[in-house]
Amino acid sequence: MAGATRTELVRQDTSGTDAVAAVAVAISALLFGLSIVALADLVSITGSVAGVPTVSLLGAMLVLLGGAVMAFGVGSRLEAVSTTPDTTAGLVAGVAAGGLWFAVGSGIGNVLVGGLGAAVVGLLVGAVAFAATVIPREDIGSTVPIGALPVLTGLVFLTGTLGPEWVFDLGWEQGASLTAEFVIPVATLFSAMIAGWAAAKAYGGFGARGRHLGAYTLVYLNALSIVAFLFVLVAFTVVKGVPGLLTGAQFGPGAGPSTTLGLFGLELSVRLPFSVPFVMNGVALLNDYQGVLPAIVGTVWLVVGAVLFAVPLGVGAAVFLTEYAERGRFTQAVEVATNGLWSTPSIVFGLFGFAFLVPRFGNGKSLLSGMITLGFMLLPLVLITSREAMLSVPDEYRDASAALGVNKWQTVRSVVLPAALPGVVTGVILGVGRIAGETAPILLTMAGGTFIPGSQTVDVIGGFEFTASPPFVANPELLQATSALPYQLFALITAGVGLGENVANPDEFRWATALVLLMVVLSFYAIGIAARYYFRRKLRYE
Amino acid sequence: MSDTPQTRQASEVDEPAETAPTTTTTTRTTTTGESDERVREEWRDHEFAGPAKLSVEDLNVHYGDDHALKDVSIDIPERSVTALIGPSGCGKSTFLRCLNRMNDRVSSARIEGSVTLDDEEIYQEGVNLVELRKRVGMVFQSPNPFPKSIRDNISYGPRKHGDLETGLLARLLGRADEDEREELVERCLRDAALWDEVNDRLDDNALGLSGGQQQRLCIARCLSVDPEVILMDEPASALDPIATAKIEDLIDELSEEYTVVIVTHNMQQAARISDQTAVFLTGGELVEYDATGKIFENPESQRVEEYISGKFG
Repeated sequence: MAGATRTELVRQDTSGTDAVAAVAVAISALLFGLSIVALADLVSITGSVAGVPTVSLLGAMLVLLGGAVMAFGVGSRLEAVSTTPDTTAGLVAGVAAGGLWFAVGSGIGNVLVGGLGAAVVGLLVGAVAFAATVIPREDIGSTVPIGALPVLTGLVFLTGTLGPEWVFDLGWEQGASLTAEFVIPVATLFSAMIAGWAAAKAYGGFGARGRHLGAYTLVYLNALSIVAFLFVLVAFTVVKGVPGLLTGAQFGPGAGPSTTLGLFGLELSVRLPFSVPFVMNGVALLNDYQGVLPAIVGTVWLVVGAVLFAVPLGVGAAVFLTEYAERGRFTQAVEVATNGLWSTPSIVFGLFGFAFLVPRFGNGKSLLSGMITLGFMLLPLVLITSREAMLSVPDEYRDASAALGVNKWQTVRSVVLPAALPGVVTGVILGVGRIAGETAPILLTMAGGTFIPGSQTVDVIGGFEFTASPPFVANPELLQATSALPYQLFALITAGVGLGENVANPDEFRWATALVLLMVVLSFYAIGIAARYYFRRKLRYE
Repeated sequence: MSDTPQTRQASEVDEPAETAPTTTTTTRTTTTGESDERVREEWRDHEFAGPAKLSVEDLNVHYGDDHALKDVSIDIPERSVTALIGPSGCGKSTFLRCLNRMNDRVSSARIEGSVTLDDEEIYQEGVNLVELRKRVGMVFQSPNPFPKSIRDNISYGPRKHGDLETGLLARLLGRADEDEREELVERCLRDAALWDEVNDRLDDNALGLSGGQQQRLCIARCLSVDPEVILMDEPASALDPIATAKIEDLIDELSEEYTVVIVTHNMQQAARISDQTAVFLTGGELVEYDATGKIFENPESQRVEEYISGKFG
């Protein structure tokens, strides 16, 4: 049999048969999404969707998917469908199919014979799958062994062989076991992915175009799964955290506590139209609902302080390295040092802060020590990204400025820095994302306790005092032990002593704390992204 | 012709690769099939009326071990267009960048020789580079406006030199030169023949202009600091014929007020717009310098004739 048997410049009308492949691609995408949602516990494996038990639904769809893929392949081989297949599906596809069938075969073998026999059965099944993929023409090889996998998986689900209550003991000394809650979504995920690849190949009519579509589907799924991971993480936290966050929350006019706005001696009392005790209260004996306001404010001030410390220093160093310093030993040494600093474990930064900063700032854990420690952590990333951003500013701008007789510093300030600003902001965003959730350094340098009364909310601006002797200004608030969300969460989880006495539902309280931490970090992200967007628009002409 | 102060001894132009027989007459060598020839003094001593704006003597430039310019001596007259032509890598851009000391920005460059602007040496201790580059402006090969508004592009130079006060402080103190700035922007854009096209969108980002408009904006920006000499490094090479024609008309107008030195690869362009032409050939030597008509119709050097007629280079 020749390789690419037919080549046509214009594909004939094959809408009917193409529809089979297109439906298969759609089913696999749907299954992919469903299994991700099931993994995140958003859809229960034991429950049902639209009146149908989830497992049966997944099983039926898998059988449909596998059947469609196999039918298309066989139809193509029987020349019922117009395609342009190669002689073989290729070694890589063979190894993949063989590996998957080895796993399935050894699973079956384990149930049937057990022990070493399982491996033998697995090897045998894998070898058959490998041969079935590599030896026949491409349209059979890349559909039948692959399509049979979801069919088998689906049948197992449908017949209840692997029902919602199924547990497989791995026999490890830790007592690890695979439960249906995990195995079913994962098996669905893999079956859907591989069948989706085969379906995409079939949709492209095999051959070069089919390979292209298959590869496209796989890399697209890869990109999708990154978004899916983020989605799972956020969705999981939101679902768990929202009840705690909204405990005692009230919305509507006049629901909130009154706030006094003072302006030019004129005081105006405003009642907020909402009340969310969890983010508005501290912890106190007489509170109806307990909250984490002190930790939120502490986190915000911590990040602001670290940014104020690190950004001028980092950007200044980057300007020196890119614009002034000759490339040589010194700049290389600075580069190595910066990269080293970036990969230093955060607990080491924390120890440094504990041993070096804490004794020098009031000899106690304080907000200021935390700010500076996190500032040190932020510094290398700001430096690296600012440097990259400045290096990518075209030299033409510098030449143009120099040719006008403008000196170097003015050029840097008026041309290079504005052009590099979006890149610098990106670096700060990334860095803030990292430090805002950092627990170890603040544990050692500024931690304030697990349950903080609302009265201990740090007030940096109001804390400034003028004194009669140098340095003429004091801020006791900066030198106080302060709580921050990551530390509070850590403390609630590891040493939630007294949690039950203070909070009605400790579990909800913890998850709500995690959700608030996530929201604080994401809102820093949002601010950074908005700033970057603004600066970019200023530089571009649209 | 040969009694100007720039006349030098023939021994100064020793070329190691020189093997062809040399003639001592002023007619060009007639050796056939042999393109090597002695670069003759007379071919480079173009005489013109009036004083020289820029006078270059024995200029040598090395980039590391690479000898990019060899003993270049040339006088450039005031208020005229001088074209520098030659094949790629012959050092004409290097030469151009020596005239406002832009080569100082290349750390590996070593420059020897003398360049005088209005009889003042620019390669000496204590030269004010800011002042020099204000007097000798430059326009680059690819249009490079700043990513700022058209107005800010023009007012950038004067503002940085303190000639225009437009900062926040000046505005607060009521000392902002808003009117002066508007006048300056309009004058420069008119001089660069761009005013009619952009006067209704001075606050738009300059990167939104077309390539030809961007290049004229760069010329306008260069005019904003009141230069005496304008150096142009292939200013039209990235532009289409219509934009090129506009730039050429503009150069013609500018030469009534400014001294223009232009590097170009386009020989027709050099023939169209320049008053005198200097030909650099491979190896960084200035081979011939004369009135443009003479160079293109009856060059002394055989290599120049071959280069111009497209046989070599």
